[in-house]
Amino acid sequence: MSDSDTNEPRTDGSGPGIVAPDDEVPTWRERKERTTGLSRLTYEYFERARREDQDLRQESSYVERDVLGFPAWPHETIRNLALASFFTGMLLFLAAMLPPHLGDPANPAETPSVILPDWYLYWSFGLLHLDPINPELAIVGGEKIMSDELYGVLANVVTVGAIAIVPFLNKGSARRPVEEPFWAAVGVGGVVFAFTMSILPIQDMFPWAVAITFDLAFFLPLVAAAITYAVLKTMREGYMYDLNRRYYRLRPPK
Amino acid sequence: MADEFMKGFAILSVGILVWMTFAGWYNTESFYDTQLVAPNPEDPGTFTALALIVKDAALYFALLGALTFWVIIPAGRRARAHYA
Repeated sequence: MSDSDTNEPRTDGSGPGIVAPDDEVPTWRERKERTTGLSRLTYEYFERARREDQDLRQESSYVERDVLGFPAWPHETIRNLALASFFTGMLLFLAAMLPPHLGDPANPAETPSVILPDWYLYWSFGLLHLDPINPELAIVGGEKIMSDELYGVLANVVTVGAIAIVPFLNKGSARRPVEEPFWAAVGVGGVVFAFTMSILPIQDMFPWAVAITFDLAFFLPLVAAAITYAVLKTMREGYMYDLNRRYYRLRPPK
Repeated sequence: MADEFMKGFAILSVGILVWMTFAGWYNTESFYDTQLVAPNPEDPGTFTALALIVKDAALYFALLGALTFWVIIPAGRRARAHYA
């Protein structure tokens, strides 16, 4: 980088005259007396760190990176310590102030009235409830070709398999949903499908017919996916235009 | 603008945390009954009455603080920029 380049402000906000020379760096007392407060102090600190980082990079024989980085000590370490202390303190506070309820011990001689797994397994439990669509084949005399239990297990296998295939079909080059409306629609449909499958095990609790819940469980994901696709496809042009405009304003083409 | 959001969010979180703590102490009969919004205990002692006041104050602080920083201050700035 030549000297004429350093005299003009650059797109990342840096430029000459932002960092004070060493003999002008304010003392802690002077910093405390400032009325501009912590934000200015933080800004100067990181600006100073950035400048030191830049000088080091320019002195060294390494190829200059575009990425702004901070050293692990003290910057990242102090920040991580602060975050870890905050969450540890939050855990201690909640555990001390609002101790969790310890329920009665389970009675092994009695079956609970409601049998449900933990909430994050509701979708899998719902897939075990698919016996209404277990086909009865005329070719075997109207018998079901497999038991409802096996059918539910196979439904789990198929669903997990479908999810496992997705990363091989879509490599994830999109940075935001509008760039690939189809895959965003697949994602939204999948999330809604997980939700409707989670509803299936408790379908008796709704005031309408069970069949309606069952049909909605397959219909709603399709509706949600279609709406997502339509909305994103409509947003696409305007959004990409806006994004490109901002990008070219930041880095004008030569 | 992001700063105003963070201030409102911090006020909302801290206020609701304080409210939740006192509501967990005084407005939760048991795990299986109404939690956090059960009626206040009858005939509270001095400290309980004080805690109930702090609890209500924390709730109002959280809601009004978030409202102030998320709605009133930005709206005021918009209005000033528009009419000035």
